[in-house]
Amino acid sequence: MERTFCSGSGIEIKEVYAPEDLREFDHARDLGMPGAPPLTRGIHKNMYRGRPWSIRRYSGFGTPEETNKLYKTELEMGQTGLSIAVDHPTSCGLDSDNPKAIAEVGVAGVSVDSLLDMEIMFEGIPLEKVATAIISGPFPSAPLTAMYFLMAEKQGIDIKRLRGTSYNDVMGVGGYLWRPDQIAPRHQLRIIVDCIEWCSEVAPNWHPVNFDSYNYREQGINAVQELGMLLANAIGYIEEEKRRGRIPLDNFIRSFSFNMGAHNDFFEEIAKLRAGRRMWYAIARDRYGTEDPRCWQFRLHVQSSGCTHTTQEPYNNLIRIAYQVLSAVLGGAQSVHGNAYDEGLCLPTEESMLLSIRTQQLLQHETNVINTVDPLGGSYYIESLTNEIEKRAWEYMKEIERAGGIVSAIETGWIQSEFKKAMLEHERRVNSAEVAVVGVNLFKLPREPYKVPIFRPDLKAPEVQVERLERVRRERDTARVTQALRDLRQATLDGENVMPGVMEAVKAYATLGEICDTWREAQGIWECPMRG
Amino acid sequence: MGMPYERVTMKGQPLRILMVTPGLDGHWRGKVTVSQALRDAGMEVVYGGNMAPREIAEAAVQEDVDIIGLSILSAAHLRLVELTLHALEGKGIKDIPVVVGGTIPEEDIPMLKEMGIIEVFRPGTPLRDITSFFQSRFARRAAP
Repeated sequence: MERTFCSGSGIEIKEVYAPEDLREFDHARDLGMPGAPPLTRGIHKNMYRGRPWSIRRYSGFGTPEETNKLYKTELEMGQTGLSIAVDHPTSCGLDSDNPKAIAEVGVAGVSVDSLLDMEIMFEGIPLEKVATAIISGPFPSAPLTAMYFLMAEKQGIDIKRLRGTSYNDVMGVGGYLWRPDQIAPRHQLRIIVDCIEWCSEVAPNWHPVNFDSYNYREQGINAVQELGMLLANAIGYIEEEKRRGRIPLDNFIRSFSFNMGAHNDFFEEIAKLRAGRRMWYAIARDRYGTEDPRCWQFRLHVQSSGCTHTTQEPYNNLIRIAYQVLSAVLGGAQSVHGNAYDEGLCLPTEESMLLSIRTQQLLQHETNVINTVDPLGGSYYIESLTNEIEKRAWEYMKEIERAGGIVSAIETGWIQSEFKKAMLEHERRVNSAEVAVVGVNLFKLPREPYKVPIFRPDLKAPEVQVERLERVRRERDTARVTQALRDLRQATLDGENVMPGVMEAVKAYATLGEICDTWREAQGIWECPMRG
Repeated sequence: MGMPYERVTMKGQPLRILMVTPGLDGHWRGKVTVSQALRDAGMEVVYGGNMAPREIAEAAVQEDVDIIGLSILSAAHLRLVELTLHALEGKGIKDIPVVVGGTIPEEDIPMLKEMGIIEVFRPGTPLRDITSFFQSRFARRAAP
């Protein structure tokens, strides 16, 4: 039997592609020029010739002091964007002194309990020069955003000029990752949409939402499913605002940003990003009739795929990361994170961190890949693949629609079962070697040939954080905090925009846990249908 | 090494395993795939999701499990294992073996074993290695 060749998502690939594969292809309709509809070739006319992609790592660990030091090191290495990766308790909206947080304060991210932590973390950082991504679960996203804004204000910087991103992806409430003590996705969507509405007025350069399909993809789904879920999720947000009708859709949509993964199938990943841009244009322009060109831009941060890395022979990951980053760049990403090669072993060491930044700098400055825009545009293969992925992603979006849209699909467990099916299937294919993993199920060596340094976080974060929390609680104006939380609760129950209340509570040094508790009490804790 | 857990084989029932992550780390892919492999190999899995160490000890008793599998990817494995073993001890549980899976640096494995962990499975371990470990180490059930 002749061997068949398939893409990562199972699209059968032909031996060669030729003009007849693009017989129905209409250059103006399907491709256009970069920066022009339908934006397939890139959201900017000159792309990296005008401005190279931002080099941004997912970073942050330990105490705010340690993270502050890390940011300064990253800026010194030439990084152009920062990110606040928070620890698990913060991501769940729990304070560092919550008994549940006991072993994980500052472990896999930085601990942020109150405005004071944010102030310490960004001391001496030139906020006007960097764009910062606040990476967390959706529940604490609004209060963390408020903390960043108020910290900047204290540094004398106008919020209107701040650049950055809040995650605010509702899929992070038990869709792709289990988190305890969350309010239901529909309640979280409400807070998220409040935050987007509010930012559209107060912080026009801020991206209050980042649809984060990188994390969906890490559950084992393929490129088509990733794109389908991502766009279906964004549509759910727009539908919510349409139902409310509080601000013009143009103002609502123009700040959207997206975060996708870069997996192993090199050309499919490039085609996925190109298809995503064309589909988003169709959604924003044709389906919702927006007129502001910023609404049509599928602004993309791309991260190399952690789940493709191996714990065995960890240096091999350097090569995987380099290919994945290249696919993100050939696909036209605005911002890229190259993982550190040692993430399957530990938190990145300073050396692995530097290598991930250097991987991107080499591409930007030595390879000349930035010289022309969308260099693969017009290739019979790439255009065919882009078309096919688009077609399949629209079909998958219909399935999600039939499941009630993303929020319902999370609440009923439909999404989680999609992930579960995908992860089991992938594991089966790795175990049967249908999917090759070099050094693991192919060319495996009897002994680990590399010895890599392991990063050991200094675990003083819990003590420092608990002590600081006590001090914050002691020194703040308790009456003001109580009143602020009471007002926030009332605004939540009355269906008003919660952001002014969040800002006042943060300003009064209410803790993240207290703010989230206010919502938990008002709306109840949700039982996540994630089953093993 | 001997076979200190023979009691398991005497029950005349399939092995029952509690699969759980101590703490707040919501990664679930490893737990889910290993759980399914163990079920496919004829074992019973109680999927615990995430639990506090105290809850793990309670569930182990309540569910009458033979083995506890801890899935840890948060880099806090040393502390979480210590807390979990302590919680088990607090409940008077001495004879339920505990295994760990997750992103554990190789050099930490001896430390975990010294603490009382029976085996550590790192990412990339073939599922059949895990299932056959359970089957050989704890033996197949004896016929009732």
